[in-house]
Amino acid sequence: MGKKIKLEAIDLDAYYGDFHALKGINIAMEEKAVTAFIGPSGCGKSTFLRTFNRMNDYIEGFRVDGQILLDNKDIYQKNVRVDELRKEVGMVFQKPNPFPKSIYENVVYGLKIQGVKKKSVLDEAAETSLKRAALWDEVKDKLNKSALALSGGQQQRLCIARALAISPSVLLMDEPASALDPISTAKVEELIYELKNDYTIVIVTHNMQQAGRVSDYTAFFYMGELVEFNKTKTMFTSPKNERTQNYITGRFG
Amino acid sequence: MSHIDLELDRLKVKLMEMWDLVEYQLQSGREAMISADTELARKVLKLGKKVNNFDVKIDRMCENLLALYTPVAVDLRLVLATLKINANLERIGDTAEGISMFVKNREKLFNPEMLELTKAIKMFDEALSMFHECRIAYKTNNTEHALALIKRDKMLNKIYRKSDKIIAEYLRKNPDSIEEGLALFSIIKKLERVGDQITNIAEEIIFYQDAKVIKHKSKKKDKNNGKDK
Repeated sequence: MGKKIKLEAIDLDAYYGDFHALKGINIAMEEKAVTAFIGPSGCGKSTFLRTFNRMNDYIEGFRVDGQILLDNKDIYQKNVRVDELRKEVGMVFQKPNPFPKSIYENVVYGLKIQGVKKKSVLDEAAETSLKRAALWDEVKDKLNKSALALSGGQQQRLCIARALAISPSVLLMDEPASALDPISTAKVEELIYELKNDYTIVIVTHNMQQAGRVSDYTAFFYMGELVEFNKTKTMFTSPKNERTQNYITGRFG
Repeated sequence: MSHIDLELDRLKVKLMEMWDLVEYQLQSGREAMISADTELARKVLKLGKKVNNFDVKIDRMCENLLALYTPVAVDLRLVLATLKINANLERIGDTAEGISMFVKNREKLFNPEMLELTKAIKMFDEALSMFHECRIAYKTNNTEHALALIKRDKMLNKIYRKSDKIIAEYLRKNPDSIEEGLALFSIIKKLERVGDQITNIAEEIIFYQDAKVIKHKSKKKDKNNGKDK
């Protein structure tokens, strides 16, 4: 029996006004696996990623047809509370975006918003999340220092810790290492590898080697279409579609 | 043309140069054997150094391609296949040198009757033809052609399997020809290995082009076919 499906898109179309950004996407992603979205700029991969926690809802003219299922429940149903959805589906962005607050306050921010006040609970959550984000050893003695004083790589791991603090089951990552140096990139990649034991991770990346290194499955998008979705090993050794091969070997266009 | 395309083209050109050289070695080894041409045999032996240099150079080019260009998909398969083809070409070159060494040391013509009985020349010609065709299959990316070559290896295996009895029988009648018989048996054995190496190369051409791994399947099949005979 295969692994449980955590996220699924069924006949998904997305539009920005008249622009048809995603065309008939069907995909099923395994629980506790890393799925990478690759494709040239403007292919729709980030739009698709943001449909999983409805981040596109704020964009004027944006609409979707079809279904996005999280644990078999359609997240675009009217009765779905978006704040509850985002507790379940955390997100990390391209540029580290810590709040201008202390390291500690950054991590527990989400919990405080949810109404958690007990210091022992917040302390424990901060420590656990920072440990999971492989940052604890570097910041444990300066939790009250400003998060903005951290390096770019540390800030990104802090953002991952902040996302983990609210105990999501899915982590969306939109080019999480593209603004980082190679050492910080390696740390984030190592972290992704560790985190997949407990989380379902979807990552958008322009770095082919990164997709190869961190993901179990890879989906290639082109002009709003899902061209190929397969095990990463297959995608990078013997892709079935010629467009995929041309893209990953750098011969696109 | 992208950088990686240029580098891959250079790699292919280098491999073809090595292929030509090894083909010349094998062809010359045949001629030296038939005519007991010790000069030509020496020339073949001398070329071994050049083939070894190609071997090292191609290995290094592959290593650089992997390190600097991190090829994937068809590009990765080309580099991996080239590494293996390179190793097989070098061994075929070694075989040509081994045969030439016999020619150089013997300094005499082989007995035509023994050559005829063992079909050694026919075997040599078939190996040379297969090697040449394999080069064409690689150059034209023709996997059908490569697959056909794998089937042709059976003929070499058949001649090899019969050769020990034929030579033993001949030597019983002509005990003075023991050294010659042993030398010829060694050559036949080497040519059988050339057939295997050409098969290996053909399998790599199919892997590179079609992403299909057929190596163990084909060997198993060959083994079974051999048993049937």
